[in-house]
Amino acid sequence: MKIMTCPMNGPRNIDEFQSFGPVRDELDPEQTADADWSRHLFRAENRKGVVVEWWRHVPSNYFFLAERDLVSNEIIRTFDASQRSGQS
Amino acid sequence: MAGLDAMPVFPFMQGGAAHGTMLPSGAVALTDLTASPRFGLKGGGSAAWLAAHGVVLPAINRIGSHRGMRVLRLGNEDILLLREDAGEPLAELRGAWESDTGPKGYSSWREEGWAWMRLSGPAIAEAMSQLCALDLRPDRFCAEDIAQTRVGHIEAVTFRAPAGFDVLFDVTASAYFARTVSAVARHCKQHQA
Repeated sequence: MKIMTCPMNGPRNIDEFQSFGPVRDELDPEQTADADWSRHLFRAENRKGVVVEWWRHVPSNYFFLAERDLVSNEIIRTFDASQRSGQS
Repeated sequence: MAGLDAMPVFPFMQGGAAHGTMLPSGAVALTDLTASPRFGLKGGGSAAWLAAHGVVLPAINRIGSHRGMRVLRLGNEDILLLREDAGEPLAELRGAWESDTGPKGYSSWREEGWAWMRLSGPAIAEAMSQLCALDLRPDRFCAEDIAQTRVGHIEAVTFRAPAGFDVLFDVTASAYFARTVSAVARHCKQHQA
């Protein structure tokens, strides 16, 4: 069983969680070139490395952030969204 | 057709979706408390409104008490008040909330959206160990703790009752939950035999 540690509820079966994808820059469509805006809307990154993602603990409907290694699939750490400063 | 002021029909009642589903009794017993009063608030302003009305709020995933009600803090701004008898304090608090026009959070409709069931009986510890993956032994999970997790494979909130565990879950899963607990109860019985 894979365990993920929810910042609010503690260690739980990964089955209790839902992934909402990587945290992305919030671009201003008025200030962004069309090509960049199109890329932002329709293209997903597919790189190696560490990504910060939104996750939800389903039974408590709690959204939080997790750092995950895209190669090893290891969840490096999880934290509340209020601690997001400095994350990409 | 019943009027809007008609008594609500809960799943195990005559006319309810789970009517006729057997509730296990014996080594593992299941009691339906869904018709018991409760009051849930959710969203910005909920905690502040309750605090302003004298409710001392516990930490998240902990249970407090206020005038005979159990106060369950399910999130920063998600609070549920439970009372098993038709007590006045809960009705008074609800009345005050309904008549308030200021910022007050939102009703989370727990009295209609959630089933409230109680598991008890001599084999309750074994039954819960099969229904829930968490360590709920007394030294790890005390009377003031709340677990928001899965019980019987469905999303649920569980906490200790005077004799057993209370479980809150989506009311539409009532019949499924009763059948799941019945199956576990049969397994516990065979195991003990």
